[in-house]
Amino acid sequence: MTRDRSEMSEDDDDQQSQSQSPPLDLRSAAIAEPCSSSSSSFSVVDSTPNKSRNCISSGTLTSQPFPDHVLENVLENVLQFLDSRCDRNAASLVCKSWWRVEASTRSEVFIGNCYALSPSRLTQRFKRVSSLVLKGKPRFADFNLMPPDWGANFAPWVSTMAKAYPWLEKVDLKRMFVTDDDLALLAESFPGFKELILVCCEGFGTSGIAIVANKCRKLKVLDLIESEVTDDEVDWISCFPEDVTCLESLAFDCVEAPINFKALEGLVARSPCLKKLRLNRFVSLVELHRLLLGAPQLTSLGTGSFSHDEEPQSEQEPDYAAAFRACKSVVCLSGFRELMPEYLPAIYPVCANLTSLNFSYANISPDMFKPIIHNCHKLQVFWALDSICDEGLQAVAETCKELRELRIFPFDPREDSEGPVSEVGLQAISEGCRKLESILYFCQRMTNAAVIAMSENCPELTVFRLCIMGRHRPDHVTGKPMDEGFGAIVKNCKKLTRLAVSGLLTDQAFRYMGEYGKLVRTLSVAFAGDSDMALRHVLEGCPRLQKLEIRDSPFGDAALRSGMHRYYNMRFVWMSACSLTRGCCKDIARAMPNLVVEVIGSDDDDDNRDYVETLYMYRSLDGPRKDAPKFVAIL
Amino acid sequence: MEGCPRNREIGPKLLDLIPQGRKWYQEDKNNVDQEKKLELRLGPPGGDEEDHHHSAMKKKNNTETRNIKVESEDKSFHGFNGNHFSSSNKTSQKRTAPGPVVGWPPVRSFRKNLASTSSSKFGNESSHGGQINNKSDDGEKQVELKKEGMFVKINMDGVPIGRKVDLSAYKSYEQLSFAVDKLFRGLLAAQRDTSGGEGEEKPIIGLLDGKGEFTLTYEDNEGDKMLVGDVPWQMFVSSVKRLRVIKSSEISSALTFGCSKHEKMRH
Repeated sequence: MTRDRSEMSEDDDDQQSQSQSPPLDLRSAAIAEPCSSSSSSFSVVDSTPNKSRNCISSGTLTSQPFPDHVLENVLENVLQFLDSRCDRNAASLVCKSWWRVEASTRSEVFIGNCYALSPSRLTQRFKRVSSLVLKGKPRFADFNLMPPDWGANFAPWVSTMAKAYPWLEKVDLKRMFVTDDDLALLAESFPGFKELILVCCEGFGTSGIAIVANKCRKLKVLDLIESEVTDDEVDWISCFPEDVTCLESLAFDCVEAPINFKALEGLVARSPCLKKLRLNRFVSLVELHRLLLGAPQLTSLGTGSFSHDEEPQSEQEPDYAAAFRACKSVVCLSGFRELMPEYLPAIYPVCANLTSLNFSYANISPDMFKPIIHNCHKLQVFWALDSICDEGLQAVAETCKELRELRIFPFDPREDSEGPVSEVGLQAISEGCRKLESILYFCQRMTNAAVIAMSENCPELTVFRLCIMGRHRPDHVTGKPMDEGFGAIVKNCKKLTRLAVSGLLTDQAFRYMGEYGKLVRTLSVAFAGDSDMALRHVLEGCPRLQKLEIRDSPFGDAALRSGMHRYYNMRFVWMSACSLTRGCCKDIARAMPNLVVEVIGSDDDDDNRDYVETLYMYRSLDGPRKDAPKFVAIL
Repeated sequence: MEGCPRNREIGPKLLDLIPQGRKWYQEDKNNVDQEKKLELRLGPPGGDEEDHHHSAMKKKNNTETRNIKVESEDKSFHGFNGNHFSSSNKTSQKRTAPGPVVGWPPVRSFRKNLASTSSSKFGNESSHGGQINNKSDDGEKQVELKKEGMFVKINMDGVPIGRKVDLSAYKSYEQLSFAVDKLFRGLLAAQRDTSGGEGEEKPIIGLLDGKGEFTLTYEDNEGDKMLVGDVPWQMFVSSVKRLRVIKSSEISSALTFGCSKHEKMRH
């Protein structure tokens, strides 16, 4: 796909695991029991720990004489061409020798849940890993639904890999806890290290970044995306080596610390391969201007603050538009962290080329927005605040016929704030942007009609996330629940893999989801449903469901039990502020030994208290984790 | 539940199951008038939510609702705090506990800063979770990770990269000295090795007795620079502001003139 989705990866779903292949996330990283006789793709971990141990040992026995060395060699040569992890997972299940060869040739490993297996299991199975994608905390942790220090520590992974994979080149972490020491170890242990991507991570500061910058001499990519980086007052930009660098991508827009601009300028000047640069808000417009003049080869630019703090003398004001005009290759634009709107027209020269535009930090009014967007005919990815109003969305719909992904965030994220966008904007988008594939839309009011319209107009939708900010809010025109709207989405959008629902929803909505959500892998539910039946519909339907996150909904033990036949085939289930009892969770934990059932308390522990505040459960090949903090009870 | 008295038959079922601690209740539509008459509230006249609710209701041409609206406007003149979170209007109709729920709407905290940080740029107050707003209930508890320990900065001569140590993790000077060695050994070797080969990593010892190549010093809360090790550990911990590892040969000059942090930071 041409659009640069990696630029704005807030919580993009794994692109590889799309519709056709069965969800094999766990097997991709861990041991797929080759001796598993079931041909059903859902039988991931249906064997007991004993059996899996046998599988591993037989798999790694090298002293056993191979009946056909030639076959192994051929296989190795062929399997090297398999990139997709779904294909590789499938190949590894054919027989033991395919499993062995696949394991020895897999260089990129994806682990969707860091607690699904231990680091040593990874290194025992895969011997030649050069790239690791690792995900930690569940998504609801982003919204403070989980106390800090829950876990997802990178430390055991980096220390195990330091010994096993000295040739490691790439690490991509999401929602992991990474310390400066981890980064130091990484920088020391992997001489050929090329790409570090930290998305929604925390636990480290500019000291750690400095060490990476300093020691990873082959570094091509340093992307810090939406991570929390403490300001250790270290001039990390100056720590890059003095000679020409290999940098291709440098993203530090989330780093809340001032930057040594002179050093940055020097770094950019000696990074001829630099294509992607995302500045933080401590880079002013004047400084941006200088950088642009020195780096016209950029394809992706995060513009920093897009403002300045002093009144500039008008005669000295740089020609910002000229600098943008010189950047003929920029196709992805973001930043505008403290936008001074009067300077926005400077970006006109690049609008016509843009495929990706992120205004989600800029409080832009419709009047300022419309002239800009009317130039952006090639736009495929667009993120913005709702300050552009329905009017702005209509302008998007008129111009951006190639739009694939839309995200509208609330400028004022409260339940009862003014809602500048509504069903009007959604309807307009559905009519104008027929190729839409992914939408995240925050609003205060919505109607079923608009949602139904979108389901009919946008058949390519794979991600539909609608957040009506007022809890339990119905269709504001008819007063009815939002059942029919979401029902239409699951019915008509045949490619839908990810769904987030909101507003007033009865069990009927869930009946639709269970029946029609054939490809849905990720489902987010909040303040919805009437009874256990709702959850049961989903658990008894939705054959591809992998990730289920539910909060504040009236689902209890019976509903939870109804899903026991499938929890091993899911990555995780999260349920908070529902109606679960500890007893039921214990029963499930007992019945399913490969499922780790965490009950996370937020109050002081009263062991007699049967009510479960938060349940987080996930399959694991290596049993319960040893690093659980006090407030986590593993049943 | 907002704005849906029509769905009353659904409402109570849902609310019964809301777990304890969330004090919601919904008043019967018929009782709303009575309740409103009795209730003293704070709130802006006709706040956002009311208008919103009523615009929906208007379509139903419901005169009862209009009565409600009139009453609420009458009442809202007492003690009105203009900045008051307008959910209080909603609450009188819908639920008693005003206020935001943790993590709702599901917007990450760095996106919540937007309404208040539009003008502050280079100031400190706009860091994550640092701003004060009414909605901080819903979890600006992004705990700044290093708050709990006692972190002080430590720099070492010859190493451009500073670190931080958590003094609460140690109970003696020996432990601190050991930690300093661990922190800087590799970095120092890397700095010293300019020829491209593998630098030999020598342990950093003798920090406390003046016998090693380096000595540990600190700056206390009065700005004085001192050698580490002279006072009891606890007294040291309570007065230390930052640490510095200097070359032993430069002890006298370092302690007399001090080194400005800025000089050392810029390279």
